[in-house]
Amino acid sequence: MTYYYVVVFAAGFAGSFHCIGMCGGFACGLGRDPRGGAATAFRHLLYNSGRLTTYCFLGALAGALGQVICTSRGTTFTLLGGSLDAIERVLASVAGLLMIAMALHFFGLLRAFHRLTAGFVSSTFAMSLRSLLTTRNRAAPLAFGVVNGFLPCPLVYAFAAEAASTFQALSGLLTMAAFGLGTFPAMLMMGGIGRLLAPAWRQRGVWVAGGFIFLLGIITLGRGVLPFGAHMAHGLFGGHPA
Amino acid sequence: MTAWVGGLCRHCLLPVGPRALQQTVNGESCSFCCYGCSIAFQVRSGKTEEWEAAWLLIRLGIGGFFSMNIMLFSLLIYGGVFTGADARILPIIDVLLLILATPTVIILGGPFLRETLVEGARGHLTSSALIVLGVGAAYFYSTIAVFEKNAQVYFDTATMVLMLFTLGRYLEAAGRARAARDLEPLLAAERENVRVVQDDGTESLCPVRQVETGTLVRVRPGERIAIDGVIVEGASHADEAVMTGESRPVEKSLGSAVIAGSVNMEGPLLIRSSGSGSATRWAQICRSVRDALIRRSPIHRLADQAVALAVPGVLVLGALTVIYWAQWLPLDRAMLMGVAVLVVACPCAVGLAAPLATSLCIGRLAHHGCLVRDAGTLESLARVRLLAFDKTGTLTLGKARLVAIETDGSAINEALAKAAGLEQHSEHSLGRAVVKAAAEQSIKAAVARDVRAIPGRGIAGQIDGAIAAAGSLPLMRDLEFAIAPALAECGRRAEANGYSVIYVGWAGKTRALISLDDTPVAGARFTIDALRTRGIHATVLTGDLAPAAQRVAAALGIEDVRAGLAPEAKRVVLAGYNRSRDKVAMVGDGLNDGPVLADVDVGIAVGTATDLARETAAVVLPVDGLWLLPWIIDCARIAGKTVRANLVWAFGYNFVALTLASLGMLQPIIAAAIMAGSSILVILNSLRLERLPDPTPWQQAADQTSGQENIYHDTRLPVALGAAVKQG
Repeated sequence: MTYYYVVVFAAGFAGSFHCIGMCGGFACGLGRDPRGGAATAFRHLLYNSGRLTTYCFLGALAGALGQVICTSRGTTFTLLGGSLDAIERVLASVAGLLMIAMALHFFGLLRAFHRLTAGFVSSTFAMSLRSLLTTRNRAAPLAFGVVNGFLPCPLVYAFAAEAASTFQALSGLLTMAAFGLGTFPAMLMMGGIGRLLAPAWRQRGVWVAGGFIFLLGIITLGRGVLPFGAHMAHGLFGGHPA
Repeated sequence: MTAWVGGLCRHCLLPVGPRALQQTVNGESCSFCCYGCSIAFQVRSGKTEEWEAAWLLIRLGIGGFFSMNIMLFSLLIYGGVFTGADARILPIIDVLLLILATPTVIILGGPFLRETLVEGARGHLTSSALIVLGVGAAYFYSTIAVFEKNAQVYFDTATMVLMLFTLGRYLEAAGRARAARDLEPLLAAERENVRVVQDDGTESLCPVRQVETGTLVRVRPGERIAIDGVIVEGASHADEAVMTGESRPVEKSLGSAVIAGSVNMEGPLLIRSSGSGSATRWAQICRSVRDALIRRSPIHRLADQAVALAVPGVLVLGALTVIYWAQWLPLDRAMLMGVAVLVVACPCAVGLAAPLATSLCIGRLAHHGCLVRDAGTLESLARVRLLAFDKTGTLTLGKARLVAIETDGSAINEALAKAAGLEQHSEHSLGRAVVKAAAEQSIKAAVARDVRAIPGRGIAGQIDGAIAAAGSLPLMRDLEFAIAPALAECGRRAEANGYSVIYVGWAGKTRALISLDDTPVAGARFTIDALRTRGIHATVLTGDLAPAAQRVAAALGIEDVRAGLAPEAKRVVLAGYNRSRDKVAMVGDGLNDGPVLADVDVGIAVGTATDLARETAAVVLPVDGLWLLPWIIDCARIAGKTVRANLVWAFGYNFVALTLASLGMLQPIIAAAIMAGSSILVILNSLRLERLPDPTPWQQAADQTSGQENIYHDTRLPVALGAAVKQG
C-alpha cells in the first residue's frame, strides 16, 4: 500500500519540474518577503498549503465520486460481486487511458490537451491570480495557493483520474496528498533556484514524470482489463486500498 | 429588486443593474455592479484602500481553504471512514468543523448579509436574502447540534453553498471585466485625461471635455488620441480601426489631421486641437454607447420583474417545504430540504442573461461605427421582416450622373466639350456631373468667355466667338435657339421619366440634350440581395416620380415600389405594414424623413449625425454604411438568440431544480453547484458574442458570389457616351 503512494509521490516530484514551467512563474511572483528569510519561507509554506488543500479536496471529491458510482447499486456490494466488478473495471480502464493520454501529452505526442488548458478558464484564473499577487496581505499567499490549485493542469487531471479509480474518498485524498507533497520540494525551492534550472533539466523532469504517469496508467488500466487485474495491482504494491 | 439606480459600473462600464454597490473611493462616490469590479477598480486606482480591496479578493481564497477542509472531512464521513471503532472521534471532528466553519461563514457570508440588510432597509427583498436565510439556518442548526452532541452537523452545506455562490459572483465579475475590455475604447472618452501643454511649456493633465480649439496636447506612444486636431510636432502611425474601420496603421506626420479615438503607435506627438474635446465624433459615439448601455431592454425588464416577484414566493415555498417534510422526517432533514429550495431558487443567472449579451453586441456594432439606441432596438431589429428604403440619399447618392446625350446630328463630343466648357464655371451639381463625364471621356472642355450664370435657367457664354448656352428649355427659348421637334420630344420624354435634362445650344440652335440621373449607392444591390437571403422583404418608399423610383428599384432588384409619397403618406403606408406582427424598419438619410424614422419600429439613418440623442432614428449607420445592414441584422439576431437561450436555460433550470428540491430530491450543495454552473453557462454563452464575425466588405462578398455586382455596374450605365442615340 505504501509503495503505491511512494510511486505517486515520486511522480509528483518528477512532475513538479513541469510545475516549474507552468506554475513556477506564479511561485516566483510571490518572491521574497521584505521581512526576512523566515517570513519568505512562511509565505511559500502558506502558498503550498493552499495548493495542497485544493489537491486533497479534488482527490477526496474524485475518490468519493468513484465510490458513489460503484456503490450506487445499493447494498448488494458483496452479493453481486460480478456486476459490480464490471463497473469498477470500466472506471479503472477509463482512468488508466486518461493517464496514458496525459503521459503521451507530456512526451509531446498528444496535443489535444493544450486546447483544454487554454481559453476562458485559464485567462479568468490568471486575472484573479495577478490581482492577488499585487497585494501585500499576509494571508494572500494562502488564497493564491488555493486558486492556483484549480489552475487547469494536465498533471492534476491525471492524478484526479487516478484518485477516482481508487473508489474511496480516503484513498483518493491520500493519492492527491502524496502527489501534492511530491511537488512540495521543487515548488518550495522555487523562490531560490527556480530561475536557475535550465530548460533542458525541466524537460527531462517532465519526461520522467511522463514515465511515472505512464506506468501508473498502465497499472490502472491493467486493473480494469486483465483478468484478476485488481489482485495483480494489489500484489505489486502490497495491495492499494481499492 | 425593482429599484433601478441607473448609471454604469465605475470599473467595467456596464450597467450596474439593480444590485448596485455604492462605495467611496478616493473621496469620490462610485457605483459598481459587483464586488469583483469594486475590488479591481480599487486595486487599480486606489491608494489608501488598497489593503481593504485586496482583502475582499482574498476572501474567496481563504474561504475556499476553510470550506475545502470542511468538505474533506465530510467526504470522509460520508465515505464511511469513521465507522465502527473510529466513530468515537466524530464529536471531536464536529467541534473542529465548527472552528473551521465560523470564519468561513463570516468571511464569505458577510457581503451577502450586508447586501440583504442594505436592500432590506430600502424595502427590497433580494436574492441574497435567500442565501443568507438558507446558510444561516444550516449553520445555526449545526452549531446547536455540536453542543447537543447527538445530531448530524451541516457545516459543509453552509460553507460550500457560500463558496459556490461567491464563485458565481466572481465569475460574473470576470465575465463583465472581459466584456469591458471590449467596450473600453468606446466608453473612455468622458473620463479620459489629456496632457495639455501650456504656453510656458509646462504640461498638466486635464479632462478631455475642457479642451478647446487651439489647445496644444501631447500624446505619448501607445496612448489614445482624445481630440481631433493637426500634428504640429512629431511623426508616428495611428491605429484608426475603432473610428474608420481601417485596420492598417495610418502614417501621420507634421500637418496631418488626427481623429479622436485613434491610438498613437510609436512616436510622441504634439497636436493642436481643432475643436472642442466634447464635440468630437468619438465623444459623440461614446455618449451614444453609454446611453444605449444604461437603457434596459423590455426582455431584461421582464426578467428583473420576474426575479422581484420570485423571491418572496420562494421564501414561502421554502417554509412550506420544511413544514410539509417535518411531518414525516426528522427536523434536520426537513430543514435541509428547505435550504435546498432557497438555494436552488436563487435567480442569479436570470439577472445575467440579457445585459452581458446585449452590451457585447452593442459594443461590437459600435466598433464598426454602427450606433444602436438601446438593447430594445436590438430585439426589434432581430425581428424585422420588412425593410423600407427611402430613395434619395439612401439607395442613391443624390449626386447626378450623366447617362445619355442625344443630338440633332452634331457630334456628341463637340456638344459635351462645349457643355463642359460652360459648366466648368458653374457650381450646380448637374453642371459638375457634366464636367466630370467629359473628363472621364478624355474630352477637353472648350474655352468659354464672358460666362454668366442665369439663375434657375442655366449658364451662357461665348465659345469660338458664338453664343453658347447650357440649361433648361426656357433658357433656349430666351436665347431664341431653335429646337428640332424630335429633340424636343426626346427631352419631354426624358423629363417625364424623371431624368434631369440639360439642353445645349450654340450658334442659334439647340443642338443636344444631356440626360442625367441619380447615382445608386455602391453596394446597394449586394445589400438588397443579402437582405433577401435573410428573409427580409425590401421596399422603396419615395417622394420622387414613379419612373425614376422604378428605374432605381429595378437596378437593385426591388419589386415593391411606392413613389410620389409625401412624408405623411409614407407614415400611413408604414402604419399599414405595422399592423402585422413582424417588425418594420425604415432606412432613410435622417434629414427630411426624420418623423417617419421616429414613427416606425426601427428607424435607421445612414451616415448623418452620430449623436443618437439628437437623432430621430434608433440606429445610425456610418457614412457609406448601407452595406453593413445585413451584418447588423445578423448580429442582432445572434444576440437575440443568445439572450433567449440564456433565459430559457436560467428559468428552465430554476424551475426544474426547484421542483426537485421541494420534493426533497436535491442536496443543497449539489443545488448550489448546479447554480454556479448555470451562471457559468450563461456567461460563457454570452461571451461567445465576443467572436461575432466582422462584416465582410461588400466588394469582397460580391466578388465571391459570382460577380453579381459587376453585372449591376453594367446595367446602371445603360448608355455609354459613344452609344448615344442620334436624333435627326
